[in-house]
Amino acid sequence: MSAATNHAATASAPAHGGRASRPQRLRDGAAAPLLAALGLAAFWLFPDDLGLMTRILTAALYVLSLDLVLGYAGIATLGQAAMFGTGAYAAGIAAVHLVADPLVLLAVGGVAGGLIALATGTLILRGRGLTLLMLTIAVAQIVQEVANKARDLTGGSDGLSGIDPGPLLGLFRFDMYGRTSYLFALAVLLAGFLVARRIVRSPFGLACRGVREDPVRVAALGGSPKRLLVAMYAVAGVFAGVAGALSAVTSGIVGLDSLGFSWSAEALVMLVLGGTGRLWGAILGTVAFMTVHHLLAATDPFHWMLFIGLFLMGTVLFLPGGLASLADRFTRGDRP
Amino acid sequence: MTALLDVEGLSKNFGGLQVSAGITLALHAGERCALIGPNGAGKTTFVNLVTGVLEPCAGTIRLAGETITRLPAEARVRRGLIRSFQVARLFRSMTVREHLELAVLEREGHTHRLFASVGRVPGLADEVAGLLDGMGLTAVAGTAVGRLAYGQQRLLEIALALALKPKVLILDEPAAGVPHAESHRILDALERLPPDLAVLMIEHDMDLVFRFARRIVVLAQGRLLCSGTAREIAADPRVREVYLGSRADVQPH
Repeated sequence: MSAATNHAATASAPAHGGRASRPQRLRDGAAAPLLAALGLAAFWLFPDDLGLMTRILTAALYVLSLDLVLGYAGIATLGQAAMFGTGAYAAGIAAVHLVADPLVLLAVGGVAGGLIALATGTLILRGRGLTLLMLTIAVAQIVQEVANKARDLTGGSDGLSGIDPGPLLGLFRFDMYGRTSYLFALAVLLAGFLVARRIVRSPFGLACRGVREDPVRVAALGGSPKRLLVAMYAVAGVFAGVAGALSAVTSGIVGLDSLGFSWSAEALVMLVLGGTGRLWGAILGTVAFMTVHHLLAATDPFHWMLFIGLFLMGTVLFLPGGLASLADRFTRGDRP
Repeated sequence: MTALLDVEGLSKNFGGLQVSAGITLALHAGERCALIGPNGAGKTTFVNLVTGVLEPCAGTIRLAGETITRLPAEARVRRGLIRSFQVARLFRSMTVREHLELAVLEREGHTHRLFASVGRVPGLADEVAGLLDGMGLTAVAGTAVGRLAYGQQRLLEIALALALKPKVLILDEPAAGVPHAESHRILDALERLPPDLAVLMIEHDMDLVFRFARRIVVLAQGRLLCSGTAREIAADPRVREVYLGSRADVQPH
């Protein structure tokens, strides 16, 4: 009897505690299954566009990493591609010379992305705001130039090719239609989303949100803002590195543009489009941006940039919270 | 009995301007002390020096016998030297509950945990509920702080300080900006502070000072002018003199 009462008490505690409003919790619970269902539906509906859709999923994981940095820790960066490209090159080089297992390659990319973020973050996260923004750009430029000069390893401006990953889990070969690639990317994105959600809800994630708002106040609570920022930067670096490795594994090539400024900037555009500080905003923004990009570029190869610009302006002006805030309106979730 | 907080000869110059000139002050467990002085007397500078926001040019600060003069601010907080801010300094997009959760998690050193869930840290929910209840903030626990009334923000500032289990609590103008009709709620909260806590309050509201403090220390032009009970301070001609022009009316109620 007492066990039953206890159980009832714990079960009802979150509801009374009001940790999250009901629509928000419903939406949270539905986010991952919805993502999986939509991803699979797209797989059946657009079998001819698997290549593009794989690129979208890879980019979504990359933009998710930027959301961790910018949305949850307030680190202004235009150099996230440094982590993506490092992960891509690390995985690519490992694939050419060392291993073929795709999961090991993802791990290699993640470690590489995390390490470069840890090393550069320790140096540059003293700065804030505009100074920091410039430093992140500088870091990405340096990494890109290193990749350009290390021709023997990276292929320089020709890019790194010859990445031929073995079958996934020893079972599923990467086929020429990109089916395995797509499903693999979908699974990795899902896993990344769930892990990221876990992190932003952890004590660490809460402390990082505090730093985003006021580092001095966090120090007055006994926290070390710099350490939290560097840790979050490194964690996001792992995500970006995995995304880079995923791109290397699924596309078979790595180019210098994976480290480029415009790839960093595009991530920012996609994130703002979807909505910062909410993980599925990153995914929504990436899907919207890359889909519109693809459709416009196909229909009007000369003016598509103009329309992308208008699309972005419209979103920022009329939906300041990004596309994700649309869903808030429908579910009336109680988010500030 | 040794003092919990022991400040000796604390000095600070900004260029040629001496904003803190050899201030010596000891605070014992259970003490209720107020630091007053006209604008520009160096009260906030003193708080910033003691809490580690500014580095002193000379002098020592000891907390429970340990010298903390050169420790960074967060290390002092972890040793139990806690401050509240003059202007409520809170995380505007976070809820009241999240603030207190963060404070308790920081105190317990949990914030390196990446994969734990805040909702499942043992004992956290109960402790936060107790803190909310203690300040009468339970009803607004889920409200983002940006939407909170100012008086409630001040109460949350005090609750945050308490969540860190302070040994020494420095309250920088806890009632600043609170409408007079509501300031009794702040006083109520202050009177329910743990009895063994050493409290140093900086405040302009003399009403609050005289009700709360057993000892008053007066600062003027970066120097310690005098210290004593409310009655002694109110009667001291030097105090009247430094307040002339800014606030001539110093009387216990």
